[in-house]
Amino acid sequence: MTAVSDRAILPRIQRYRHSLWLLARRDLRVRYSTSALGYFWSILDPLVMAGIYLFVFTQVFNRNVGETPYIVFLLTALLPWMWFNGTISDCTRVYLVEAKLIRSTKIPRTIWVASLVLSKGIEFIASIPVLALFAIFTGATLHWEAVYFVVAIILQAILTVGIGLVVAPLVVFFRDLNRAVKLVLRFLFYASPIIYGVTDLPAELHVLAAFNPLSGILSLYRSAFFPNQLDAFTVLIAAIMSVVILAIGVLVFRRTERAVLKEI
Amino acid sequence: MATDSSPVIEVENLGIRFRRNRKSRRNFKDLFAGRNRRTLSGEFWALRGASFTVGAGEAIGVVGRNGQGKSTLLKLVAEVILPDEGSVRVHGGVAPLIEITGGFVPELTVRDNVYLTAGLHGMKRAEVDARFDEIIDFAEIRDFLDTPYKHLSSGMKVRIAFSVISRLEEPIMLVDEVLAVGDKGFREKCYRRIEELLAGGRTLFFVSHNENDLRRFCTRGLYLNKGELVLDASIDEVLKRYNADYAEV
Repeated sequence: MTAVSDRAILPRIQRYRHSLWLLARRDLRVRYSTSALGYFWSILDPLVMAGIYLFVFTQVFNRNVGETPYIVFLLTALLPWMWFNGTISDCTRVYLVEAKLIRSTKIPRTIWVASLVLSKGIEFIASIPVLALFAIFTGATLHWEAVYFVVAIILQAILTVGIGLVVAPLVVFFRDLNRAVKLVLRFLFYASPIIYGVTDLPAELHVLAAFNPLSGILSLYRSAFFPNQLDAFTVLIAAIMSVVILAIGVLVFRRTERAVLKEI
Repeated sequence: MATDSSPVIEVENLGIRFRRNRKSRRNFKDLFAGRNRRTLSGEFWALRGASFTVGAGEAIGVVGRNGQGKSTLLKLVAEVILPDEGSVRVHGGVAPLIEITGGFVPELTVRDNVYLTAGLHGMKRAEVDARFDEIIDFAEIRDFLDTPYKHLSSGMKVRIAFSVISRLEEPIMLVDEVLAVGDKGFREKCYRRIEELLAGGRTLFFVSHNENDLRRFCTRGLYLNKGELVLDASIDEVLKRYNADYAEV
């Protein structure tokens, strides 16, 4: 656009990848070097939530949504939700927290969102053994649909980067937005098939729910243990929505980048 | 100093505007407005209409009073802010000695921080390995390799930061008034390092208020006043004009 340097494209991509890796590693190191329990914290949060829902829906109410074993059903969606939720809430602070570094290096500014998605994604992958443990103890059967995990991870990464690229720059100008984001995230938690399944919604909400890209993505994760949660239409819409949101994210980011750099 | 004919920095009609008042109202519309919109009332041009080229191996000092656009120009050349008008073309990598401690993480050790910061500025791991001892010895910090960065004294923080950035093998050096910190001995060491790099053919872009420093390193000066490039000449001429303009103040 304006600031052009005539370095070749390939080294630029390599440098971006190298920096991405360095930043993700830095985030993980900082998180784990400052807490004694380290890894345990990142799985404790979803476990406590799963425990609460398990208690409420199996002991207090009579559960008629989801599938059995319910704990496995919950965790297959809760763990990816933690990735999504954690990344987006951190995105609301990222340009403020990293301001000094952004003012002194010219790494492409998308990296701040991308490195968050990556470091939280690594934590998510590191939490999968917990899911496996619960699956083994409760005797849930793993189906071949488990390969969709990879598709789900890719789609979720696309979606999260897209939303992050919208949220991160806008928060720099509208500080209130981080409260709004918190509210929307809470709403989204219940509006997404986490404590219930996509198939539990009334038929007339089915199409509407599909436009929440998390519906399709979470049902892909779930199909590893519960293949009948998979719904081709929902997944297709989720894929389209994710790509569209990424495109919007890139657009918003480009239009606001100049102003963000002046502001921080 | 031999000056190559091929330019390494080309600045053309460069302009950038800022808001006068941080609190002035912003709405979605002007946030998304392109770079060709007209100037709004709450904005001013920090720099406008600056054009110049810098050849390889030149040492340029930027002169001007506070708030006349010196640091803005430096940041534009470092490409850490983007212009509203015109363009900056930088051919080759840049070692920005601007907010040098910015990339350092308080919780991580000196060792980790060296790899992190050098890496973010584009050094590969093997290159950092090769230069690690040099970096540590220059900063005189060998006993603190595994100390968290936050426990270093402020002098040590600046020393290690300067040491890392000044070891980047980039052809262009941008120096903001970072060297105002640190004790006399180390400052002299930094200056010698800059001279060494200059002798090695690097291009220097230097912002300072200190006349002695400017004369010591620079051969050419850029004089900025009220966001305009007033004079582009030898450093002696530029300083003479600058002093004449502010003689009575």
